[in-house]
Amino acid sequence: MSSVPRSSIPRSMEASGPGEAGAVAAARRTAPSGWWGAALLIATEATLFSCLIATYFYLRFKTGEWPPNGIEKPSVTLPLVFTGMLVATSLPMFLSVKAAKGGAVRAAWWLLALATAVQATYLGLQIHLMVDDLNSFSPQVNAYASIYYTLITTHHAHVAIGLALDAWLLWKLARGITNYRLIALRVAAFYWYFVSVAAVAVVLTQLYPSL
Amino acid sequence: MTVSTPPATTVRINRLERIWKETPGLLGWLTTTDHKRIGILYFFTSLFFFGAGGVEALLIRTQLIGPNQSTLDPATFNEMMSTHGTTMIFFFVVPMSLGAFGNYLIPLMIGARDMAFPRLNALTYWIFLCAGIFLYVGVFSGNAPSAGWFDYVPLASKAYSPGPGIDFYALSLLFVGISTTAGAINAIVTIFKLRAPGMSLNRMPLFCFAFLAVSFALVFALPALSTALILLELERLLGFHFFIPASGGDPILWQNLFWIFGHPEVYIIILPAFGIATSIIPTFVRQKMVAFPLVALAEILVAFLGFGVWAHHMFAVGLASATTIYFAAASLVIVIPSGIQLFSWITTIVTGTPRFKTPLLWIIGFIVLFIMGGLSGVTFAAIPFDQQTTDTYYVVAHFHYVIFGAAVFPLLGGMYYWFPKVTGRMYHERWGQASFWLTFVGTNITFFPMHILGLDGMPRRNYTYGPEMGWTGLNLIETLGAYLLALGLLSVFANLAISLFRGERAGNDPWGGDTLEWSTTSPPPEYNYAVIPKVSSPYAMWDEEDREEDRRNLELGRKTLERGHETPASTAVDAEWDEILEMPSHSAWPPLVALAMAAVFTMVLLQQWLGAAIFTAILALTVVGFHLKEPEEA
Repeated sequence: MSSVPRSSIPRSMEASGPGEAGAVAAARRTAPSGWWGAALLIATEATLFSCLIATYFYLRFKTGEWPPNGIEKPSVTLPLVFTGMLVATSLPMFLSVKAAKGGAVRAAWWLLALATAVQATYLGLQIHLMVDDLNSFSPQVNAYASIYYTLITTHHAHVAIGLALDAWLLWKLARGITNYRLIALRVAAFYWYFVSVAAVAVVLTQLYPSL
Repeated sequence: MTVSTPPATTVRINRLERIWKETPGLLGWLTTTDHKRIGILYFFTSLFFFGAGGVEALLIRTQLIGPNQSTLDPATFNEMMSTHGTTMIFFFVVPMSLGAFGNYLIPLMIGARDMAFPRLNALTYWIFLCAGIFLYVGVFSGNAPSAGWFDYVPLASKAYSPGPGIDFYALSLLFVGISTTAGAINAIVTIFKLRAPGMSLNRMPLFCFAFLAVSFALVFALPALSTALILLELERLLGFHFFIPASGGDPILWQNLFWIFGHPEVYIIILPAFGIATSIIPTFVRQKMVAFPLVALAEILVAFLGFGVWAHHMFAVGLASATTIYFAAASLVIVIPSGIQLFSWITTIVTGTPRFKTPLLWIIGFIVLFIMGGLSGVTFAAIPFDQQTTDTYYVVAHFHYVIFGAAVFPLLGGMYYWFPKVTGRMYHERWGQASFWLTFVGTNITFFPMHILGLDGMPRRNYTYGPEMGWTGLNLIETLGAYLLALGLLSVFANLAISLFRGERAGNDPWGGDTLEWSTTSPPPEYNYAVIPKVSSPYAMWDEEDREEDRRNLELGRKTLERGHETPASTAVDAEWDEILEMPSHSAWPPLVALAMAAVFTMVLLQQWLGAAIFTAILALTVVGFHLKEPEEA
């Protein structure tokens, strides 16, 4: 028998109201399985980004002039401002989880909606910047252009997946909170923290020739 | 079991049977989330690919039986050689070990009722199946890959491989990589979160440590392969530049990315075999493993160090001396944890009282072959020697001793060992032993002469050789050995297939096994354990008082969790009981998600971008469907 009496072990999945879900989360001594799954997914995705960034610098050190063939150096201001915008959404994501744990489902929903709006705006602005770049040089020009667009597009794809996750959560949370949805919200927040860190790594790599 | 069972126990078992009952028939198999059924699906599917890879190997050996043969033309030889390697590594050894053995056994060994993410588990199987079919559609439509299993550029570039063979290769590996990553994550979370309360990490079987190490290695190794494959496909399908020097690319980039994945992959292949060995040895020598904590640490250390040695596959490409020396030294370090395990296995066997049943014979065969393959592996750390033997049959000899001898022998031993548990029947013992000797002798006749041929300069991957080279005799011997080996393997599976119907009834524990799976019925019920088992040591089945307490608990209705599809979740290190989880049951979504994914990959292969976009949208819808039902609503 475990050291804990059975009566105190929660049947987590039966927690289907705001108070119950929060109580289960508070009673838990280690992170739930969903959180572990997300942590490992993030670990593998972070490795993917590391490989892409390593590829960028591998190619860079094989080439004398960078960017090569007269491609202009990337402009610094807007990408950094936009990245700051994305990183800032970590705060409403964090507060949304906190509110959900405390049973304030409405507040959690609105905070998540705020974060989603900013994240969607970020993606729109980023795509706009990329279209500008595409008008000036295509990914097929040389290795610099190829890794430049590959890196940025991979990042954009991660933002898009995060937005899909947000949309699904907004729909679910509008119908109340359960243990499962609370874990999903924690996972989504965790994912966005990772996307923010990845965004910083990607933008610093992207702007490296101008820094 | 029910003959002497008290009535209260029978009532509880009947209730659990009712709650966990699987859908009957084909629909049940299509929608199952039971880890044991998924393990069985993995087993038969990867066995099919083993057969396909085996036929390809025999075609290769038949072509090389003598000089200037024409069984295969040069192009077909290249295709068979490439598909053989790709199939055996990605579609046989990894899914057989992690998918079949891991899926079936991990929850049983840790006293859980399922994997942590049962629907994801089903999805990994269906993705694996679709990816395998995807690759073989290429093979059967005359578009097999032909640039070797490591697919070096520039040979694999559009200029030198213009057909879709390489695209079939790259996309199928990306596809199956999703399955393998998800499977690895599922295994790690299962091991950390679903161990029976009381099974702290130091009480976990070594088998699970090995699978934990493999799963971590996969999580961090596969992205390097995925990156390489994505870059290759961007170059081949969309005209990007990564590997062509004239456009600022570098072909060595492929080699680096591939081997950053590829060398950990070697340990990913072999570590499950170590885990199986540490299960079989204690049972058949009636003794606990010598140096248990050191072996557990060594299993994890091997996986970790495997990430620091990739460039020893590239000593002949002209890297800087400082780089090659570092990688040579790092490669030598791996000898230490490998040696710890080796000495532990040997010491446990020689200080115990061995019963030389078939499973133990396979493990002893494995130890012999691993020593030979390991020793030839150490020789590659001598850089000038490596440079001389690169791309010769010496390398082929080495990695077949390691990958076939050391990785597949324990899988075969494991099949005999757990056959009674999975089927409820015994195999034919004498036949089993004869099959072992046939396969062991066949293996050595096939692969040992390759060392000599390699040292004599015979290059690997050549479709033929001239009589003047003096290689005819040894090649003939190798090919005859390969047929003997195939006969041995057929004999293994014939024994198991016939025993499935005619074997004697096995009972719960025919071997006096050491781990928990032997405490439940053979085959185990859908819910694995009627009562969540008590665990006080890694050899839980030998702790008789605990098993007696389980029986009492069942009578009294303690720790039976009979309100639904329930299993306990524990804290990660000390395994204190933290919560009771409701696990999802059958679902039709996993195969549908996998099918939608297959359609996306097919559209990308055909370069139908609109089609790819449409199927991506359909894939997104299936993913939404997958998540519509929350576990407690299932």
